[in-house]
Amino acid sequence: MIHVPAPDPFTVFGLPRSLDVDERTLEARYLRLSRECHPDLHRASDTGDCIAVLQRSAEINDAWQVLRDPWRRARALLELLSPGVLDRTKKLDPAFLDEALELAEQVATAGAASAPALRARLQAALADDFAAVRADLQRGDHEAAARRLHASHYHRKALADLEAKS
Amino acid sequence: MAYSDKVLDHYQNPRNVGSLDKNDPNVGTGVVGAPECGDVMKLQIKVGDDGRIVDAKFKTYGCGSAIASSSLATEWLKGTSVDAAAQIKNTQIVEELSLPPVKIHCSVLAEDAIKAAIEDWRQKRAARTAETGARS
Repeated sequence: MIHVPAPDPFTVFGLPRSLDVDERTLEARYLRLSRECHPDLHRASDTGDCIAVLQRSAEINDAWQVLRDPWRRARALLELLSPGVLDRTKKLDPAFLDEALELAEQVATAGAASAPALRARLQAALADDFAAVRADLQRGDHEAAARRLHASHYHRKALADLEAKS
Repeated sequence: MAYSDKVLDHYQNPRNVGSLDKNDPNVGTGVVGAPECGDVMKLQIKVGDDGRIVDAKFKTYGCGSAIASSSLATEWLKGTSVDAAAQIKNTQIVEELSLPPVKIHCSVLAEDAIKAAIEDWRQKRAARTAETGARS
């Protein structure tokens, strides 16, 4: 079988390559695309058609999963604009990692009294991360955006760990 | 996925957890991370005048294999020379802990942490030598 690279999610949805996607437009488009390509509506005349329809429908679903999640959308956009940038920026600043370690310790030892403040702090850190990624993208600084996306993983993981405790 | 007995042992009874004073001129600190899985590893060594590692501590935020890899690394580091420590390879950790392929990156992280700690100590020492050289 010949491997055909899947079209990028923005192309699948016919949307401009942008971090900002209107959620209602996105959902309406998803429903329309899914309808158009529903396997039940396509009485495929031969096996080739059938495979094409299934493949298209898988592409639509994959693209939907990426586009509806702002973080995954940001990753996809970055990889499109600057292929390999996420791989090239994996080495994070030791001072940041030190802070991440400290946060993890705070999460591990957080009790019912300290959890709400810590949760608010982590949520704020994630909001800051996303705002920074947006600003970096607008400036065209893809490496900075990629580093910030990597950094956000630590905040998301700490938040998930905190939620798992309660 | 099942962890090997050695991984479980290090995970349940991690050796040398803690930290050393990072401002101590004889202490080298390495902090490394794997952003895909959100792991962080901090490894510190304290080096004596004879170039031997007299103490090693670690703190790791990550999976069992990452904890076991760094715990094992500190065990190996204690008492060895800095030069020998610099030769430690992740494959030795993989072998000792029987890490499966999906966990090899944890051992790579431990090797990176050792190298970063040694590099930090060497830089401190070089800076100190330059300072005493400039004074005399």
